Order: sequence, then structure tokens, then C-alpha cells
Amino acid sequence: MKSKRGLLAKLLVLAAVIAIAAAMFVIGRGHTVYFDNKEVKAEDGTVYKPFYKIEVYVGDERVAKLSEGDRGAYSVMGQKLKVTLHLTVKKDAKKQGSAVTFEIPYNMDGIIYNIPALLQGAPEEVYMEEFVPTPVQEDEDADVVVTDEFAMPSEDE
Amino acid sequence: MNKKTNIVGLLQRSSVPIMFVIICALCIPIAGLSPSYLINEIVTRMGRNSFLILSLLVPIMAGMGLNFGMTLGAMAGEIGLILVSDWQIVGIPGMVLAMIISVPNSVLLGFFCGKILNMAKGREMITSYIISYFMNGVYQLVVLYLMGSIIPIAHTSIKLPRGYGIRNTVSLLSMRQKLDNLIPLTIRGVKIPVMTFIIIALLCLVIIWFRRTKLGQDMRAVGQDLEVARDAGINVERTRILSVIISTVLAGIGMVIYLQNMGNIATYSSHSQIGMFCIAALLVGGASVDKASIGNVFLGVVLFHLMFIVAPRAGAYITGDSMIGEYFRVFVSYAVITVALIMYETNKRRAKSLAGAQLAAEQEAQK
Repeated sequence: MKSKRGLLAKLLVLAAVIAIAAAMFVIGRGHTVYFDNKEVKAEDGTVYKPFYKIEVYVGDERVAKLSEGDRGAYSVMGQKLKVTLHLTVKKDAKKQGSAVTFEIPYNMDGIIYNIPALLQGAPEEVYMEEFVPTPVQEDEDADVVVTDEFAMPSEDE
Repeated sequence: MNKKTNIVGLLQRSSVPIMFVIICALCIPIAGLSPSYLINEIVTRMGRNSFLILSLLVPIMAGMGLNFGMTLGAMAGEIGLILVSDWQIVGIPGMVLAMIISVPNSVLLGFFCGKILNMAKGREMITSYIISYFMNGVYQLVVLYLMGSIIPIAHTSIKLPRGYGIRNTVSLLSMRQKLDNLIPLTIRGVKIPVMTFIIIALLCLVIIWFRRTKLGQDMRAVGQDLEVARDAGINVERTRILSVIISTVLAGIGMVIYLQNMGNIATYSSHSQIGMFCIAALLVGGASVDKASIGNVFLGVVLFHLMFIVAPRAGAYITGDSMIGEYFRVFVSYAVITVALIMYETNKRRAKSLAGAQLAAEQEAQK
């Protein structure tokens, strides 16, 4: 009876640890969110023009200030990002505020949001895109790992 | 007379910390570093290292000496962090996940280490030292050849340019000092890593509580005398294995805390250095191979790292070459371990010969 209870307690602890690990997997997933203030053209030919200026706030912190053609980045944990956008559509126009919540797909490390397209009601495939870093060609010997502390130099060295 | 002997004994026992206090007292004014800088550095290093050094206390309690095998736990912690970095789990959740991943690996490695140490009773320290070298080879096999080829690693920033194996340095920027800064507190320019200190304090309380538990009492009994403990019905082998497992698991968690503070992993060297420096710090704090307390841990961190900070500057001032100070601190690290081992062995032999002389005298008297 006692050993059964002990086994049950151990299983419960194991289950709790697995549950915590699973929770960490979800809530701790990091993403880099890129904010674009660039012109984008949809497949149907619609062109979404950039705004004069966009300021992106997360809470009270300004994380990006974008002029036309700029891109800003912000690292976020979890799959939801609430931002406040301060928009100046044209040069002498009045600043407008807009609150946006981004739902970030779990499997994407980096994701680009085109803010003008998003605010002008473009379809998701136009304003959202996965960020794929350009592969950098590196020499195979660029990062040499030395693991043998006792290595003797060979004759040809 | 008795009082005088006590004072001499106390001075003898505290000779290493006293020596370090003198070294630091001489070097601090020469180094010319500001008090606030020194305090900042010491506080940071206390947060960074204390958990790791505390992991050494349990095997000492069980009479297994200084656990050079803590390196195994450090490797488990590093593997956890590498995987978590690749999965892009960041911040505190990343740290927690890395700790969770390290635990089963640490348990396995600790069990293996404990089993071998049971076969080498009386030679635990040298055996654990060599095991750490052996396991370093296995670690390299896993990290250098299996990761990226068999164990999936997606990110090129972690993988070597050849397509498999892990780079020399893995960035932990996404979790750098997240634990330290969780509860931000700065007092007169000194940044206090409050959350890290809370965790260290909790571990201290756990160690104090653990000493009073049945298992803790068993460990102390085993540490005092193996045969007497066995006669008292204690499963000596199991108790010793458990002490190594606990130490290895704590070292794995401690390594995650250490590396989150550093902000990067030196994949192939972090773990091998850490064992040596933790053991040296503990000994500098006045611990010995068979006796160590929580107080020794903190005194050791302060004195050892104070020496670490001021020695290069003092060396540069005196000789004009900062490398002298670098050599000095590495030399002192190894020297303090050597001296502690010699002192332990000498005391053991002295006690043995005293016991022998006493027995001979008793036998003579009986005749």
C-alpha cells in the first residue's frame, strides 16, 4: 500500500515536471518580429503605400520608429504581441493612435508585418511573411574546435 | 594551555582564508580599483558562482571529498542550454526548460559516477577527476558529432559551418541575466541580483534541512565511518551514489544560473574550468576535503574572486605586465587545491599514527 502511494507520488511529480516543461515550451518561445513601413503590392495589383512615419510602442517603451521604407525589429516571448502604433500618415497630418495585437505563428522564428498593408485591410498573405535570413557562405574552417588539450604537434606542423 | 592550543588549531584551520585575506589586502590598494566597482563585481560573482559551489557540500558530507565530477552536471546543464537555444525558448522559461532537461542527464551521469566511485573507495577525488576527463570525451562526441547529424539542430548560428557539431561559442543573449534582473534592485550603484540570491538562499535552507533528514543523517554517518555506518544498517553504497547524484543535479542547475549570467557558452571549455574554480573557491573559504559549511562557500566566493579581480591589475602595476597577474591567479587556484589535498592526507596520516600509538600504549599497559 505504502509503496503504491510512493509510486503514485513519483508519477505525479514526473507528470508535473513534464507539464511545466510543456508550458515553458509554449510560453517561452521567442520570436523576432519585424515591422515594415514599405510599399507592398498584392497579387491582385493593389499597392499599399507606406506611411510618413510609424512609431511602435510595447507598453510605454518605443521599440521602433519607422520612416518610409524602414524596418524595425523587436524580440518577443510567446505568441501574442500587443503594440500601440502612433501613425503619421502624411507629412503634415495629425498623429493617430492604433492598438494592434499580433498573433504570431509558433513555428516561425522571425516574422515580418507590413504595418501599412495591415492597417489598410490587406489580406494576411500580403501583410505577413516569414523572415528567412539569407544564408551566409562560411568557410568550413572558420570556427575551428580544439578539443584535445594534450595534443602533440605532428611532424608536418 | 587548552585555550592556546585552541587558538593555534583555529589559526591552522583558517590558514588558507587568512592567507587570502592578506593577499587581497595587499593587492586592493595596488590595483587601484574603486570600492563600488569591487563590490559590484563581488556581488555579481556571488550570484553567478554560489549555487555551483553549494553543490559540492553534499558529497563532502558523505565523506567523498571534493566532487571533481561536478563537471558532469555542468555538461548536462550546457546540453540543456544548447538545445533550448536551438528551440528558441528564451528568458526565464528557457532557463527552467534547460534545468529540466539537465536533470535526467545529471541523474544518469551522477549514478554512473557514483557507481564507479563506490568501486574506488578512498580514492574518490582522483577517480572523479579522471571520470570528468573521460566524460568530457563523451560530451565532445555528442556535441561535436551527434548534434546536427543525429540530434536535430536547426539554427546555423549554433551549428558549425560544416553542417554538424556545435560552435565554440553559443550566444545566450535571449536569456542573459534574465534571472538576475527579474527583481531589479540597485543600491548606491551596486546591482543586486535579488532573484538569484533568493534561489541561493533557498538552496542553503534546503541543505540545512537536508542535514536533519534521515538521508542526511545517513550521509553524515557514512562520511564519518563507512564500516560503522554499514553495521548500523545504512546502505552505504546507495547513500554514496545518492550524494553524487544530488551534487551532479545541483551542479547542472547551477551551471544554467552561471551561464545565464555570462550570456554565452564556451561549448568546449566552460565545464572543465568550472569544477576547478569552484573547488578552489570552496577551499579558499576554509573548507577541507572532509569538512565544509555554507559559510565556507560564501567566504570562498568573496576571497577567491576578490583575488581574481585585483591580482591582474596589481600584477600589471608591479611588473608592468598584466599577464603576471593572470598567471598568479591560475597558479593560486591550483596551488590551493594541492595544499588542501596535502593537508588532508597529512592530517589523516597523523591521526592514524596517533591512533596506532595510542593502541600500542594501551596494549603495553595491559601487559
